[in-house]
Amino acid sequence: MKRLFKSLLLVATCAVLALGVAGCGEKKEEKKAEAPAAAAPAAPKTIVFASDAAYPPMQYMNDQKEIVGFEVDVIKAVAEKAGFKAEFKNVAWDGIFAGLANGKYDAISSSVSITDERKATMDFSDPIMAIEQILVVGINEKATDLAGLKGKSIGAQIGTTSYFVVKDVKGFKAIKTYDEVGLAMEDLVKGSIQAVVADSPVAVDYTTKKYADKIKIASVLKSDKVENIGIAVKKGNKEVLDLVNKGLAAIKADGTFDKIKEQHKMK
Amino acid sequence: MSDTRIIDVGEGAAIPSKSDWGLFNAWTISIIGALAAILYLVIAQPNPYQRLLVYLADGVVITFQVTVMSILCACVIGLITGLGRVSRNKAINLLASTYVEIIRGIPLLVQLFYIYYALGRFLNVHDLTAAIIAMSVCYGAYMGEVFRAGITAIDKGQTEAARSLGFNTKQTMFLVILPQAWRTILPPVGNEFIALLKDTSLVSILAVSDLLRRGREFSSETFLYFETYTMVALIYLVITLILSKGVSIMEARLSHYVRR
Repeated sequence: MKRLFKSLLLVATCAVLALGVAGCGEKKEEKKAEAPAAAAPAAPKTIVFASDAAYPPMQYMNDQKEIVGFEVDVIKAVAEKAGFKAEFKNVAWDGIFAGLANGKYDAISSSVSITDERKATMDFSDPIMAIEQILVVGINEKATDLAGLKGKSIGAQIGTTSYFVVKDVKGFKAIKTYDEVGLAMEDLVKGSIQAVVADSPVAVDYTTKKYADKIKIASVLKSDKVENIGIAVKKGNKEVLDLVNKGLAAIKADGTFDKIKEQHKMK
Repeated sequence: MSDTRIIDVGEGAAIPSKSDWGLFNAWTISIIGALAAILYLVIAQPNPYQRLLVYLADGVVITFQVTVMSILCACVIGLITGLGRVSRNKAINLLASTYVEIIRGIPLLVQLFYIYYALGRFLNVHDLTAAIIAMSVCYGAYMGEVFRAGITAIDKGQTEAARSLGFNTKQTMFLVILPQAWRTILPPVGNEFIALLKDTSLVSILAVSDLLRRGREFSSETFLYFETYTMVALIYLVITLILSKGVSIMEARLSHYVRR
């Protein structure tokens, strides 16, 4: 009996503790929810943007667990000009389009390249900027193009235009797809693969900052088509699209866009 | 607190009893249903399902490879660990117990990341090898516990009898205890096999081109999420069902062999 009482006491203590912790958590969330409502009595429209925050320097998590980056700053400026409130949600890249189609958020701001295939299932804003596909290799690699890497393993992030560029190229030992571009770079650094294809801003970031002494840019993969990135919305969502386009045009016209570019040292 | 209920499990409780409807049991319904669904989808809508099946084919092979290799390695590790756990040598016992405690305390997903990305910095192993090592080390610990339970479940009288007949410790273990332990061990080990097969889907995180990774590649390009994951789920189901049938056939054989 004494034993039973003891264990009951233990269970009760645990339950109280758990409730207490949960309670604290709830309070914090409540505060968060209240703050924006109080700050904006006119309640401008809130647009939720999904971002895969593992894509420096375009969008990534900082130490304070906030989503920051070049494209995030662009969207914040767009929101200010077009009069809406931008909220960011960290969503894994693989499945980000399915979430948009299912209505989990209003738009995707995640360096999405505008392609004909994607246009068939979603609508895109006006282009934010043009990017290129870059071939990144180990610091001692002599090959400078895809042909020189025959028989070797190459990697790219799953479902990206970087992967689509190489997926049909024959002659590689393996073409590996990663959930995050950072994991592909990590695999390149440790030598499991010999090359990575990535968007130009990301390739520049990784080869100049984090792994500057281990990997380098081999070449730009030339394409006859200009590749633009833009904001994706669910097909037919004209309301959000118009707001984004309006703000985008405004920041490009008054020089805010160039200022943000300069701040982030983008070419 | 003296609620002791005696549950009569009867003879050979480990073997699932045959349903009264003969062939019409859960296993046949599931496998025929899954195969029929795959066949129907491929024939009724060759685009995209036929294309999908062709794309997933090499992923199935990789999943199969990882499963079989991991099961073999995990069984060996499990047997060694199980023997270590019942060993009277304190050092060996401690070693085996520590291994089990540490590995059981770390999620498989974290172990996969750890072996490939963390240890990968010092020891560059191939992705498939890393996947098999992680799966074997993890499931080896689980199976070690199953083996230990199976060995300790054998009546002490068996050991005493073997020893009094002049068998040494090694002979007692390998000729008397283990052959009997197999029968109790097999059902839970079979469950571990099936769990292992399903957990191989985690290795796709290492960019191993297994069934799930191939499915994700296909869907991320075509946006056919519903079609892709329906097919992936059906294929996993078929493989799992075949494996579980294999295990139950083995169980039936063993129970026949050692019928009391």
